[in-house]
Amino acid sequence: MSANETPSPQPVYVYGVVRAGGRLAFDEAGVAGRPLELIEHDGVAAVVSDFPAEDFRVRRSDLHAHLRSVERTFEQATVAPCPFGTVIGSREQVESHFLGPRRDELERLLEQLEGHVQMNVKAEYDEQAVLADLVAGDREIGRLRERTKALGAAAYYENIRLGELIASRLAARREADAAEIEAVLAAAAAAAVPEPADAGQLLVFKGSFLVARDALPEFDRTLDGLAERPPRELRFEATGPLPPIAFATLEPEGAAWA
Amino acid sequence: MAVAQRGTASNYLQRAPSPSGLAEVLDVILDKGLVIDAYVRVSVIGIEVLTIDARIVIASVDTYLRFAEAVNRLDLSQTESAGIDELRSGGSKEKTKGALEGAKEAITPGRKDKQRSR
Repeated sequence: MSANETPSPQPVYVYGVVRAGGRLAFDEAGVAGRPLELIEHDGVAAVVSDFPAEDFRVRRSDLHAHLRSVERTFEQATVAPCPFGTVIGSREQVESHFLGPRRDELERLLEQLEGHVQMNVKAEYDEQAVLADLVAGDREIGRLRERTKALGAAAYYENIRLGELIASRLAARREADAAEIEAVLAAAAAAAVPEPADAGQLLVFKGSFLVARDALPEFDRTLDGLAERPPRELRFEATGPLPPIAFATLEPEGAAWA
Repeated sequence: MAVAQRGTASNYLQRAPSPSGLAEVLDVILDKGLVIDAYVRVSVIGIEVLTIDARIVIASVDTYLRFAEAVNRLDLSQTESAGIDELRSGGSKEKTKGALEGAKEAITPGRKDKQRSR
């Protein structure tokens, strides 16, 4: 805006899209400490801040600033958030290459997201509880376990076999539990995005759910019900209400500009 | 020690309004959301390290042996929390180590491309 003599345009960091015309208050700085502002175009608007293109190194504070900015926007308006690290070459391009060509889709998306929040849910096995439950009902494991106990220190290969057997039982149980958690929670939500939960032996389920604000108490009760269900070998974590980050998707449109 | 005889929600379910740890924040804001065709992706050097540990799969003899040991120590008539807790803290250390090693491998190959401009 002020005297900018460099010929290259100012790139902007994009946090997300809202409807134009809203009066949003941004009291905190965004990524790289720059203030947030709106670029409006024909009914939709991008929440942006100037981006220092040269020699930018992401800092931990930038990650928090991104999330806080999206959350702050979400508190005041329906927002379709962008992933961390979204930068467009110039203000003009935000309008000409993004808001303009995708206007209708963005409006539809905002309509879908309106009045909804995202809940992230993670479920992990309590190791002791799940192993006790697995062993209790399994003859094969029981037999192997007697052998390893009897053999003591000499049971190296038996121990590997035992562990392998447990790992495979655990995998089967995890698959069944993950499917059930997803189904039960999805029934209380408007949409679900499960994530592949192959990360380590005890993680059972991880996913995001889009929940209508007035359906949140029901979703919470459903979650409580799952967590309380015997044999209570699962430990749940629920984060939210969050902005609907995982649900802000448009169809890819490769040929839109080149 | 007494593993929650009367399970209130808090024993099996933890709630947080917003992610606080770095790994959790990354989990929420990285690779999710509105992808714009006309964009330049900022490089996130050094950040991969923290996301990897959530994605790494540890399936090895070590893991099997750890399970076996845990199960061998289980007393089915009653729970011996002390022994298992000890074992678990040891196990998680192992896990972290493995994750960090994996992460190192994952980030070494040319993450230099600062910005991919189109």
